[in-house]
Amino acid sequence: MSDSETDVMIGLETHVQLDTKTKLFCGCPNEEAEEPNTHVCETCLGHPGSKPRLNKKVLKQAVKTSQALQCDINEDVFFSRKTYFYPDMSKSYQITQYEIPVGEDGEIEVKVGDERKDIGITRLHIEEDPAKMKHVGGDIGDSNYTRVDYNRAGTPLLEIVTEPDFESPKEARAYLQQLAQMLEYLKIYFPESDYSIKSDANISIDGGQRVEVKNITGTAGIEKALSYEISRQKQLKKRGREVEQQTRNYNANQEITEMMREKETEKDYGYIFDPDLTRQELDQEFREKTWEEIPELPHEKFDRFKQEYGLKDKLVESLVTEPELADDFEKLSRDHESDLVASFLTGDLKKVLNYNDKTYSESEVERGWLGYLIGLLEEDKISDRNAEKVLREIVEEPQNPENIVEEQDLLKAEDDEISEFVEEAIEENPDAVEDYNSGDEEAVNFLVGQVMSISQGKADPKTARERILEELE
Amino acid sequence: MNVKEVVEEGEQVDHEKFLEELKEKNQEFNFMREIEDGENNSGELNDIPFVAKDAICTQNTTTSAGSKILENYTPVFDATVVERLKEAGASFYGKTHQDEFGFGTFSTNCAFETPKNPHDPERAVGGSSGGAGAVVAAMDQPLISIGESTGGSITNPAAYNGVVGITPTYGRVSRYGLVDYANSLDKIGVLAKTVYGAAKGLEVIAGEDENDQTTSSREVEEYSDLEEKDDLTIGVPKQYAELEGIEEGVKENFEESLEKFRSMGHEVEYLDMPLLSADYAVPAYYVLAMSEASTNLAKMSGMRYGLEKDPEDFDDFNEYFSQVRSEGFGEEAKRRILVGTYTRQAGYRDQYYIKAAEVRQKIIDQFKEAFNQVDVLVSPSMPNIAPKIEEAEEMSPTEIYAMDTLTVGPNLAGMPMISVPNGKSEGMPTGLHIIGDHFEEKKILDTAYTYSQGDSK
Repeated sequence: MSDSETDVMIGLETHVQLDTKTKLFCGCPNEEAEEPNTHVCETCLGHPGSKPRLNKKVLKQAVKTSQALQCDINEDVFFSRKTYFYPDMSKSYQITQYEIPVGEDGEIEVKVGDERKDIGITRLHIEEDPAKMKHVGGDIGDSNYTRVDYNRAGTPLLEIVTEPDFESPKEARAYLQQLAQMLEYLKIYFPESDYSIKSDANISIDGGQRVEVKNITGTAGIEKALSYEISRQKQLKKRGREVEQQTRNYNANQEITEMMREKETEKDYGYIFDPDLTRQELDQEFREKTWEEIPELPHEKFDRFKQEYGLKDKLVESLVTEPELADDFEKLSRDHESDLVASFLTGDLKKVLNYNDKTYSESEVERGWLGYLIGLLEEDKISDRNAEKVLREIVEEPQNPENIVEEQDLLKAEDDEISEFVEEAIEENPDAVEDYNSGDEEAVNFLVGQVMSISQGKADPKTARERILEELE
Repeated sequence: MNVKEVVEEGEQVDHEKFLEELKEKNQEFNFMREIEDGENNSGELNDIPFVAKDAICTQNTTTSAGSKILENYTPVFDATVVERLKEAGASFYGKTHQDEFGFGTFSTNCAFETPKNPHDPERAVGGSSGGAGAVVAAMDQPLISIGESTGGSITNPAAYNGVVGITPTYGRVSRYGLVDYANSLDKIGVLAKTVYGAAKGLEVIAGEDENDQTTSSREVEEYSDLEEKDDLTIGVPKQYAELEGIEEGVKENFEESLEKFRSMGHEVEYLDMPLLSADYAVPAYYVLAMSEASTNLAKMSGMRYGLEKDPEDFDDFNEYFSQVRSEGFGEEAKRRILVGTYTRQAGYRDQYYIKAAEVRQKIIDQFKEAFNQVDVLVSPSMPNIAPKIEEAEEMSPTEIYAMDTLTVGPNLAGMPMISVPNGKSEGMPTGLHIIGDHFEEKKILDTAYTYSQGDSK
């Protein structure tokens, strides 16, 4: 069965951990610690008498993200208590936003292959992360006991909820990738950090019961988890069985979804306003200020690059994946041919970066170094092969490429030098010359190869061929 | 010797003698949960002794909020008010008994001991800051006693014990370190023998605190610079004056208080404030207070502090939590958790929790309107004198909740209020309640001071 025969509806609830200095409601460092339960205080441990105080930076980031997602921003926002008992919850209630989130009714245009699709954003709100649980000697079902580490308790989260607009796992993955990219542009999320993006998904097929799948980490995970769940539901239907409303857990090791709990009447959290946190006013001034701080976003950059530089979709898409890369593309294009810059950055450079498992910003390669190499290519002074060789070296160990080129003598050979190589090749290979003279044109290729090997790659193969032909005539 | 003589005239309280008297009186009346040897402190308050209600966190001193579930709980930090008093040179002498988490009206709902009224040991001390009121009444030497009011828990023991008790505007004093009852209603205040003592204590503890975002950034006035007032317009809410069930002796004392104001040249005016009737304010108060309380108490589950059990004896965390909570909470706490959970559940939430919040706003509006016409509002502090402990223990929950009718209105509205003694009935003290507009602590203190300066009958 293909997807087109089945009507699939998917909605996502995505939690983005924020990389703030301190936690959401106290002054504890918001980062992993070597020892469990060391980045804790009376507030994030929920001691009697402690009170939360809001980290205003988080409010700003939430507004910015809401604006980037074209949400309506609520002028007055509140926090609420979501009460339930679980060992990872220090207060047995989570401080979140219920009635009035920071943002509502937004939209994001997602590119899926060559198509574009609008995904509705239901809401964006702020909440606190609970503690981390470590099940000792097994998983949640069969471990002997569980340890709780409150270092994570109180890490700020943005929860972004979509409408059930996705029709395939591929679309969901594209959305998460583009959302992550947008957050990176907003300097809210950094893919190389320890902070994670986790999603819960609601999936139903052919208008059937809704199944919630929890704990899906990252973008690759979402496609696997959803594909598994959709095929599970299809199998059930095929056998004439009902898809039951239930909550399932995604087991990333086995790439399957597992039953967590059967349909219960919608969980009741007995929300009340958190009376310890005052109403937060997001007035026009506040909103205008955050709006001004929003940079050109990836989709905007995409459209502009296409128009301004007339590049192919694939190239532009690759350029805008990283804001630093896109910026440097523009800067390099001032002095160099933009087609060449684009193909060099998205082709050679990306290949080397991927091989080294680094992002552009992580690699510490300087823009000037790339400009130097592109300049050499532009003036035909270096061969593609040698340019790539230099690139590999400067990615592996950041250093000025001029030194490498000089030390290893990697520039293309000068004309008289090439003539010497050609003469040498002809002298040493009389057999090949004879073959050519008796009509075997293939022999030229052999001679070109010889020139290349004698010159150690410095000779330009095209020039070498011309010279050989001249000599042989 | 009184607080003023110590703070302003340089007289010194002798630590040994104070401790001796405290222990002696406590033997008799059981108002202290913990007694500490007050350390010497220097500063503005010149070493004046202070004690705090059990629910106020004190580093290294047990803080149980009157509950078995926190029986051996020792906080890792001092509440802001405790910190401020110590910094100002007050000397800490321990914690006072209260109803469990503030759930009570007579301090007969305490997991540990029931304090006795210094005016008559067979009678209750009031609640929930009962120990806080009794200690002031019992001690001959001066002290500042820190109490807390959610629905009337300072006014009530002040009246029953014949002392002064001020409850400030919501947000005037930091709640950081207060074991929460209902966070949108809780207010830390001061009990003392004199208006000056209450004013001075409040002056030190009031003011913005970055650890409690609900505190106001308004400047704190010099409350202790008390002034006699002329030409006050004093309002009396009809719904309070005509409340059914006010004891005759209480009524008489109240009438005399009004007469005294008139004789001093102030004007007394009756106002119709329909929302202050028992039908609106009391249910709205209890719905909000219990909804919030049921979430506050959720954190007490035996995992990180307080009562604990051996986890090996339980199959899962739900069973463990249930057992700890069943054993740790008293009956009234359980009742409030159940009711408070119900009033905020989907399906009932709008009809109880949300509606109560709307009623609260209307009550605030009604007070605001009244303060356009009058300087302060007055009423009897409590409808009765302190009941016998036995009688109090036999009252049904609804009878007990009704005792709060005179105090829940201003508490719900977050208005500042002060109770001052205004005579005796059957040998027991009664109180006059003076309520002011938001942040008019100075005005109600001056009014109370003016009242107590006038010739008593």
